[in-house]
Amino acid sequence: MSNNILEVKDLKVSFHTYAGEVHAVRGVTFNLKKGEALAIVGESGCGKSVTSQAIMRLIATPPGEIKKGSSIIFDGKTDIAKLTDKQMEDIRGSEMGMIFQDPMTSLNPTMKIGRQIAEGLIKHQGLSKQAARERAIEMLRLVGIPNPEGRVDNYPHQFSGGMRQRVMIAIALACNPKLLIADEPTTALDVTIQAQILDLMRDLQEKTGASIILITHDLGVVADIAQRVVVMYAGKVVEQGTVDDIFYNPQHPYTWGLMRSVPRLDHDDNKELIPIEGTPPDLIAPPKGCAFAARCPYAMEVCLEQDPDVSKVNAGHSASCWLLHPNAPKVERPVEVGGHNHG
Amino acid sequence: MLRFILRRLIYGVITLWVLITLTFIMMHNLPGDPFANSQKLSKEALAVLKKTYGLDQPIWVQYGSYLKKIVSFDFGISFNYPTRTVNEVLTQTFPTSAELGMYAIIVAVLIGLTLGVIAALNHNKTWDYVAMLTAIVGVAAPALVIGPLLSYFIGVKLGWLPPALWKGPEYKILPTITLAFGTLATMARMMRTSMLDVVNQDYIKTARSKGLTKFAVVFKHTIRNAMLPIITILGVAVVNITTGAFVVEQIFAVPGMGKFFVQSITTNDYTMIMGMTIFYAALLIVAIMITDVLYGLIDPRIRLSKGGK
Amino acid sequence: MQTVTPDKFKPATHAGNKERVVRKSLSYWADAWRRLKKNKLATFGLIVLSLLAIFAIIGPFIQPYDYQSQDYAARNIAPGTAHWFGTDDLGRDQWVRVWWGVRISLFIGIISAALDFTIGVLYGGISAYFGGRVDDIMQRIIEILMGLPYMIIVILLMMVMGPGIFTIIVALAAVGWVGMARLVRGQMLSLKEQEYVLAARTLGASSWRIILRHLIPNALGIIIINVTFTVPGAIFAEAFLSFIGLGIKPPMASLGSLVNDGMQVMRNYPYRLLCPSIVFSLIMLSFNLLGDGLRDALDPRLRK
Repeated sequence: MSNNILEVKDLKVSFHTYAGEVHAVRGVTFNLKKGEALAIVGESGCGKSVTSQAIMRLIATPPGEIKKGSSIIFDGKTDIAKLTDKQMEDIRGSEMGMIFQDPMTSLNPTMKIGRQIAEGLIKHQGLSKQAARERAIEMLRLVGIPNPEGRVDNYPHQFSGGMRQRVMIAIALACNPKLLIADEPTTALDVTIQAQILDLMRDLQEKTGASIILITHDLGVVADIAQRVVVMYAGKVVEQGTVDDIFYNPQHPYTWGLMRSVPRLDHDDNKELIPIEGTPPDLIAPPKGCAFAARCPYAMEVCLEQDPDVSKVNAGHSASCWLLHPNAPKVERPVEVGGHNHG
Repeated sequence: MLRFILRRLIYGVITLWVLITLTFIMMHNLPGDPFANSQKLSKEALAVLKKTYGLDQPIWVQYGSYLKKIVSFDFGISFNYPTRTVNEVLTQTFPTSAELGMYAIIVAVLIGLTLGVIAALNHNKTWDYVAMLTAIVGVAAPALVIGPLLSYFIGVKLGWLPPALWKGPEYKILPTITLAFGTLATMARMMRTSMLDVVNQDYIKTARSKGLTKFAVVFKHTIRNAMLPIITILGVAVVNITTGAFVVEQIFAVPGMGKFFVQSITTNDYTMIMGMTIFYAALLIVAIMITDVLYGLIDPRIRLSKGGK
Repeated sequence: MQTVTPDKFKPATHAGNKERVVRKSLSYWADAWRRLKKNKLATFGLIVLSLLAIFAIIGPFIQPYDYQSQDYAARNIAPGTAHWFGTDDLGRDQWVRVWWGVRISLFIGIISAALDFTIGVLYGGISAYFGGRVDDIMQRIIEILMGLPYMIIVILLMMVMGPGIFTIIVALAAVGWVGMARLVRGQMLSLKEQEYVLAARTLGASSWRIILRHLIPNALGIIIINVTFTVPGAIFAEAFLSFIGLGIKPPMASLGSLVNDGMQVMRNYPYRLLCPSIVFSLIMLSFNLLGDGLRDALDPRLRK
């Protein structure tokens, strides 16, 4: 048995819309080690959320579809892409839990939060209603809800956004899952609350030893929690590596662009933030070559014609870019991007 | 919540008062003077009527005594048959109408909601099209079209069910279907839309992410939330079924309040019309009020709010 | 390792600009029209409606009868070459009477919808524009009116005003505008607060541009949808009133009274029930299909 809790291989997800087939995820491959926190970053529409929902098998079919040939090996044995819906129900919630972006809409407004936590426990651990309630109170305490005995019978609208997200974490972790997927868990929250939620997640990860996949477009959050990073663009992984690799030795021009477009506290100079120009391609008709070529200042003719292979930079660090081809011209990487680590 | 109920009650009372005043004003503005050019009435009857309505007194005194009478449920006597009080007619005809209305609302709600749920769960499949077709037929063929057609084809042509009258249980099927159909179609359509809306909510994704069975997700999470907007149109449904009964009772010769109301209209029995109008209005206003309060009770967001909204 | 000839590593010349949007962008109305045309049911509704309108205009004139002339020699004739929809017990031609009924239906439907729209937009607009006290009072009035049962009030008004096309229109307009007023006010208020309006303002868009490009397309869509459903509502109300004997004055024909008359004699002359029933259903059907189609086409929230 391998050391990986999750091995995603060549994952392809499409949505059939009236305008045509949207190739939202176009062959994503990455691994997640046990106890590791992995961040998937990229701009809106790059397929990061779809990837996470595919792992949970939450893609609505139709219109969505996980394409043949995709494999999602969970815990070294089960291929999630091939499970029946029934088999999947047993894994969801017990082996893997999920937190969503907007805590204001992700809780059932007409059900007491205690019951919402207890539901999974009753289903997966066969607890009695009373026992599940006790455990729900315990979970509420664990995620830092004050007066959990009183709050367990409250409805979601009686909680603030940050508190609701804590409840969501309690639901996701109630059955001690091996994998927690958090889809932009702090995006909808105030900055101060964001930090609290991130602290809580890190804390709980240490306590439970669960692996985490964190979907975000906030690189600050990435540095805070993750050990490894997957950078996605237009439904593909363009670069992946450790946090240090990505922050200090990025290889893909898209990653450079990402790094330059967010403020960095570790750079003392007041560098101007440079946005990435242009918009991502239409995934109904993805471009033939590298999807980023149209926006890439370093684009070469080959980039427009052929998609680059994955090039290894070191053991855990790889990127898909023609610039890494031995025949490619050496380009000067923009100095702001991990300048001191250059070369 | 208490404030919410109180607020609803106050609005109900005001609405009712507006209506009563409206009927009073209308009584005084009927085309021509019903008391003057009615040859049907004997002098004695006319005298009784004038006294009953106090027509010789100033208008605000008339209004005052009118209000007093209405509040004490005294709707006066029939204009055409001075020996009959409006109350008598109401007690005679209301039970029949209530029975028919009950059947219709039960059929409409139960079948309509079930159809809506089945349609949403089979989105873009056969059952969905069946529900959509029902909804379309429901609006295209209201009671005044579907009633005579059912009576003709099933009652007269095929002879499966009695085409009219209100006697045994088999007599009650066609009127019930006719009266229920439009509301059933609306219910099915609304429930379908509401279900499809709820299915796309994040909290359904949360429910699924817990590994709940499809059955549990549908019954514990989806239907419950999808029902909420339906409750708000329940009041409208009661109103539609009540007014629909005017036509349906006419078509199937059901001896109910609606048939009598329409008869009073055709025979210009003004006092009867006024009395029945107020009774109807009170009934409907109360029905709307109850559904509003019911909604407040069922939705925890309203039930637990301290404010009025 | 992928093999690539070295010359391919020349810098590429970016043909298009980076902001190029791949899918063709359509204006709101063009897109709505395209979606409406794609909707088969709505197209069907539109075609049937056009046919009905044409027949309502020319129908009464392609037969040599009028709606009230009685011909005792030609009573209760079944549909045939002389009388396409047959005749009634007074020998009046059903074809002509049915199309007169459709005329009245369409006329009342359209005028009522126009009145609802005008009053509703004025009331709702004033209420939303002034806000504060004025809005408060106007909304309380609406809340009370909303509680009144529509049909009952219309019946009361008809009792007072007597039967006739004009009185029906007045009665329907007196009660019907409330929903539209609420809708307009709600739209105005919510749109005023929308972030994209703020965004447009921040970007320096003029008030006219905001009204033309943002407020009207977004509010008008929903208002148009409402109007399309008001028309069959009014048509139904007229038929309902005429059916119970409160609507159109005889000898003028109305679909409601034709159905009622037909019902009385359906055992012997079923065509007298079927003809007006079918035509009436077609009117209701086509308006509702068109309304559904418009809703799908115009509601921006449903756009994908």
